[in-house]
Amino acid sequence: PIEDLFTSLNRHIERSEFEQAVKVADQVLSTNPSDEDAMRCKVVALIKADNIDDALSTIQSSQKFTFDFNYLKAYCLYRQNRLDEALEALKIQENNPATMLLKSQILYRSGEMDACVEFYQKLQKSKIDSLEINFVAGLISAGRASE
Amino acid sequence: NPIVLDLAYNFIDFPSLENRM
Ligand SMILES: [K+]
Repeated sequence: PIEDLFTSLNRHIERSEFEQAVKVADQVLSTNPSDEDAMRCKVVALIKADNIDDALSTIQSSQKFTFDFNYLKAYCLYRQNRLDEALEALKIQENNPATMLLKSQILYRSGEMDACVEFYQKLQKSKIDSLEINFVAGLISAGRASE
Repeated sequence: NPIVLDLAYNFIDFPSLENRM
């Protein structure tokens, strides 16, 4: 039964056995391709297994889900250094802390330091661990170390 | 080059499977 598969999937996630988690998620999806939890688990497990190519192709080949996979898609594009496409994927996203953080990292890699720093300034009130490390990197790279 | 962390990664999480087991 599907409950047993999810119990197994959950156990693999808890043990950080991400490749096995992908296999179990695939078992669920083979009988129910529209199972959103299984699809989300598969994509996240692929990312955490550092299999970015498969994570992206899974997102792109999947049918429409209620869950918005755009952040995960943008993250995969960022990891592949497809920076323009990554920013494009985030364009329609609400500016929540996760989206702003990813945008600032993309802008940093694109060398757009002032825009990058602007997002870090907006993020300061969000209390994100270690944010200041990237903020300082942006300021230094923008030639604004004195700030 | 200054050190930059992949903080966006920390926002990637599994859904809760609590009510699926
Ligand atoms: K950054």
